[in-house]
Amino acid sequence: MSSNNMSGWESYYKNEGDEEEEQEEGLEAGGDYSYSGRDSLIFLVDASRAMFESQDEDELTPFDMSIQCIRSVYTNKIISSNRDLLAVVFYGTKKDKNSVNFKNIYVLQELDNPGVKRVQELDKFKGQEGKKYFEDQIGHGSDYSLSEVLWVCANLFSDVQFKMSHKRIMLFTNEDDPHGDDSAKASRARTKAGDLRDTGIFLDLMHLKKRGGFDTSLFYRDVIIAENEDIGIHFEESSKLEDLLRKVRAKETRKRVLSRLKLKLNKDVTLTVGIYNMVQKAYRPPPVRLYRETNEPVKTKTRTFNVNTGSLLLPSDTKRSQTYSHRQIVLEKEETEELKRFDEPGFILIGFKPLMMLKKHHYLRHSLFVYPEESLINGSSTLFSALLTKCLEKEVMAVCRYTPRRNSPPCFVALVPQEEELDDQKIQVAPPGFQLVFLPYADDKRKVPFTEKVMANPEQVDKMKAIVQKLRFKYRSDSFENPVLQQHFRNMEALALDLMEPEQAVDLTLPKTEVMDKRLGSLVDEFKELVYPPDYNPEGKVTKRKKDDESYGSKRPKVELSEEELKAHVSKGTLGKLTVPALKEACRMYGLKGGLKKQELLDVLTEHFQKA
Amino acid sequence: MARSWDKAAVVLCMDVGLAMSNSFPDEESPFELAKKVMTMFVQRQVFAENKDEVALVLFGTDGTENALAAGDQYQNITVHRHLMCPDFDLLEDIESKIQPGSQQADLLDALIVCMDLIQEETLGKKFEKRHIEVFTDLSSPFSRDQLDIIIHNLKKSGISLQFFLPFPIGKQGGTGDRGDGSLLSDHHGPSFPPKGITEQQKEGIQMVKKVMMSLEGEDGLEEIYSFSEALRQLCVFKKTERRSMPWSCQLTIGSNLSIKIVAYKSITQEKVKKCWTVVDARTLKKEAIQKETVYCLNDDDETEVSKEDTIQGFRYGSDIIPFSKVDEEQMKYKSEGKCFSVLGFCRSSQVHMKYFMGNQVLKVFAAKDDEAAAVALSSLIHALDELDMVAVVRYVYNEKTNPQVGVAFPLIKDAYECLVYIQLPFMEDLRQYMFPSLKNNRKCTPTEAQLSAVDALIDSMSLVQKDEEEGTIEDLFPTSKIPNPQFQRLFQVGSVNPAENFRVLVRQKKATFEEASHQLINHIEQFLDTNETLYFMKSMDCIKAFREEAIQFSEEQRFNNFLKALRDKVEVKQLNHFWEIVVHDGVTLITKDEAPGSSVTTEEAKKFLAPKENANADSAAAFEEGGDVDDLLELI
Repeated sequence: MSSNNMSGWESYYKNEGDEEEEQEEGLEAGGDYSYSGRDSLIFLVDASRAMFESQDEDELTPFDMSIQCIRSVYTNKIISSNRDLLAVVFYGTKKDKNSVNFKNIYVLQELDNPGVKRVQELDKFKGQEGKKYFEDQIGHGSDYSLSEVLWVCANLFSDVQFKMSHKRIMLFTNEDDPHGDDSAKASRARTKAGDLRDTGIFLDLMHLKKRGGFDTSLFYRDVIIAENEDIGIHFEESSKLEDLLRKVRAKETRKRVLSRLKLKLNKDVTLTVGIYNMVQKAYRPPPVRLYRETNEPVKTKTRTFNVNTGSLLLPSDTKRSQTYSHRQIVLEKEETEELKRFDEPGFILIGFKPLMMLKKHHYLRHSLFVYPEESLINGSSTLFSALLTKCLEKEVMAVCRYTPRRNSPPCFVALVPQEEELDDQKIQVAPPGFQLVFLPYADDKRKVPFTEKVMANPEQVDKMKAIVQKLRFKYRSDSFENPVLQQHFRNMEALALDLMEPEQAVDLTLPKTEVMDKRLGSLVDEFKELVYPPDYNPEGKVTKRKKDDESYGSKRPKVELSEEELKAHVSKGTLGKLTVPALKEACRMYGLKGGLKKQELLDVLTEHFQKA
Repeated sequence: MARSWDKAAVVLCMDVGLAMSNSFPDEESPFELAKKVMTMFVQRQVFAENKDEVALVLFGTDGTENALAAGDQYQNITVHRHLMCPDFDLLEDIESKIQPGSQQADLLDALIVCMDLIQEETLGKKFEKRHIEVFTDLSSPFSRDQLDIIIHNLKKSGISLQFFLPFPIGKQGGTGDRGDGSLLSDHHGPSFPPKGITEQQKEGIQMVKKVMMSLEGEDGLEEIYSFSEALRQLCVFKKTERRSMPWSCQLTIGSNLSIKIVAYKSITQEKVKKCWTVVDARTLKKEAIQKETVYCLNDDDETEVSKEDTIQGFRYGSDIIPFSKVDEEQMKYKSEGKCFSVLGFCRSSQVHMKYFMGNQVLKVFAAKDDEAAAVALSSLIHALDELDMVAVVRYVYNEKTNPQVGVAFPLIKDAYECLVYIQLPFMEDLRQYMFPSLKNNRKCTPTEAQLSAVDALIDSMSLVQKDEEEGTIEDLFPTSKIPNPQFQRLFQVGSVNPAENFRVLVRQKKATFEEASHQLINHIEQFLDTNETLYFMKSMDCIKAFREEAIQFSEEQRFNNFLKALRDKVEVKQLNHFWEIVVHDGVTLITKDEAPGSSVTTEEAKKFLAPKENANADSAAAFEEGGDVDDLLELI
């Protein structure tokens, strides 16, 4: 570029120079890893009668939906961030339970780590039985004051001893005008919401389906934080659990920036960006070592000592060494670090290439997400936005040299523009910004010994096309749960609850061969006839596949429980002693749709036999 | 790490004939360049510490020493070193023992000697690869009689070939990717024959092309390199490439359709394999050091407990649950073993690149020598390609590994076609963050002027060249052909104190002044590229050492040329801070007062450091990353 063209930017950023210098230290620290404090979240659920009414029979009631959603957040938190604090508060109740003895407010769970017992408690409020349980234990009240409700919530936050990094209240209700007939109450609620906002507590409205529609302008528009306006996310009311879950998840996961870095367009023009991880392999948590006697966790200490003298060694007493062809190379630890140092952390723009030059099969490691960071250099967002707009318009990507940290070698990356996308519920499904795609070095590519090309003829290709078309589905990135993790947590759950046997996690990664075979019908044989010689065995020497099938079949529990036995179990209430596979088999025998959870299976079987 | 199944036998076959020493003034001869490339290769081999064996055959030597020599046959060809592990001796041989010859020898004869050597010396040993690397300027005559037999035998015995020439040859396009835009071709330099070459050399080029085409098809031309290409990209060597283990399996669609496949890793991040061991600072021995881990209770005394008194547990929310290894083993998820099963097919646009994860790319081919499988897989590849769809598959490497869900999409090239498999995330791996919209946001809406400035920026920094007539786009900066600088650095560990190394090299005559200074200049460039003050100081040390030794060895012209080139470079790269240090330290051209060979007056030397008037050079040049890597070297 000529410097003339960019002069607009230079003057635009003239004042930022000093600030940039000052911020440098912060940048070098490498971002937000050293993050302290816990996230805390209160689920505030309207328990008025309207929340328990569904519009038709198959539909979940708004209350049931809320509970299931909360349960899902609980179990997710157990898996992902068990230090976070959660609470559940009902309002519009008959009974009350709170530290200030306000009426119609029932604190079910105070702010604390999610755990098995709390999940079990939530389960009691699920479904038809849950409704009954609620009515027996807590009951619907006739009145409440939102201002008092928020007061109780604020108290819950202030009772916590830990340092909290983020405080949030999620309000589940289908009443759009709670204090329609009492303007004094309404006004007090608005004032209280304002107070919460001032003390750094976020309040989100998770509004649920209401006959005639939920009208936020009646009351909530003034109560709910302006933040939402700011980021341009306006939710529609939720009528499906799935929608509600997505909204809750979106709000509940706090963005954590991996690092804040400079993006240098040229010598004079720099902006700052935040780097985010949108995909990150989730692993089973590492085991902790416990003292056998008490089951309390123990600490581990590692020390280095000299074998000959037995004396402990400090880091300065050691050096680092490598040997090549009998020659030893010895460096100080710092020097080995220095070997890795090339650039200051950040991005240096090299230039632009058309988007179509990005090779899908040149994948190196999972991509990151880049979004402007206004806090370090003012105007970053504006410049970023201009860059994004133009990259999208011109269908180009920016190729940069990227140094994530000090002492880490540089790599080439492509910044691929991504336009913001909202779904029909106006939930953001793709945020605006750049995907940071890692590009391989020559060393990372391997030449593979490829198989001689033998082309299929059009008839064979067409037959395969028919097969492909039959097995079409819509891929969604969240379609598949990790069966290994799921099983691990089921096991944990079973042990925590002293269950006889853990629930078997459904393995969604297994092909649904039966359905597939049925859909394909005769196509497979037709295809095989076209491509395979008559005596050809695609299974190779060992008929492994067959063997697998048999063993798969033999693994099926041959329970064959007689009707009498089942009935006996039902009447004695010992059905729960049977294993999940056995229960499934039983359901299958009687053509019952049992769902996947053990309890669900028990329920349908019990119901079936009680009817009979 | 060296693996026995991936062992290679490599013959370096170097032309040392008469013409190899010819060069234009101020340019290195093909002889010197070839030595350099070989040195880099052997260095890398030594550091890689694998079990490969390397032999060295010279042709055009004054004498003759090879197993085939008889009468007037196979003359002036010398087997300098037989197949054995490369070591520092070989490096020193290449450095100093190899001398230019005064004869010419037939390149094809030399090839036959190399092939014979490989056949004889690998007999009874297990080598995964056999490979010959030829360094020549092609100026010696050769007889074509045996060409077809040679090609036949190379194919038969599975020996691969690479050629390294002093000039680039015309190569057309890349490997002809179809899936990702057949319009694209990578940048290979000029596609016309180099100027100033003889008829004999032209004939040689035709022959080399023919050999490579018959061995590897169009791809074969990719294996003909110029010396400068090779110096820039160490990894051009077939040998330093890592080969992947084949993974055999069956691709299944439902329970009745399976296709025999074999898959290889095609991309995975290469890391520095060797790690640093901790040694005692005084004895430099690692045996003296031991690490131990102890467990202790969380009480005031930190009471130690033995490992046997501890058990394994896991956190589950607020609870910690004891869970022994045995129980875990019994209750954990078990995959049903190796598989590559299609779960379904979907539109390719639904599987966005941003979801790709894992640490490898697999290329999936039909099983070897199985035509039925090849046709079946080809049907699937073309069906997916034509429908613009992809397969979502369950992939399990073996019964001990966890299952993955991934995408398999078609990749169709001229020479081969395959499915490419990449892992996709599980629900648990996703983070659904939302970000404020950048549109309709007053605070960050750019003005028209700002937008057009960015527009101009993008145009001015394009890394591609469009040929409107041909309808092709040339990639001027193919990042995937650039080697990882971290490896380069490790292979010159000597870079910790380059100024001192330089002094030692030139004083002890371990290298010619010319070579030592090239090495030094390379270091200076690397340091400057970091754009860090710490490294500026290191560069200054190097420059000062260079200057002192240049005066000592009457190489003042070399230093002066370097410094002039450096000044230009500093300007282009906008390393003004660095130049300020140069000026501050008063490091200028060597004057005739200091060395009689210089024509520079004290006056001129002073002026040289004075600020230039036209300091505001066009900043666009700063981004022409493609061309300036070797500029400094070429100027000397």
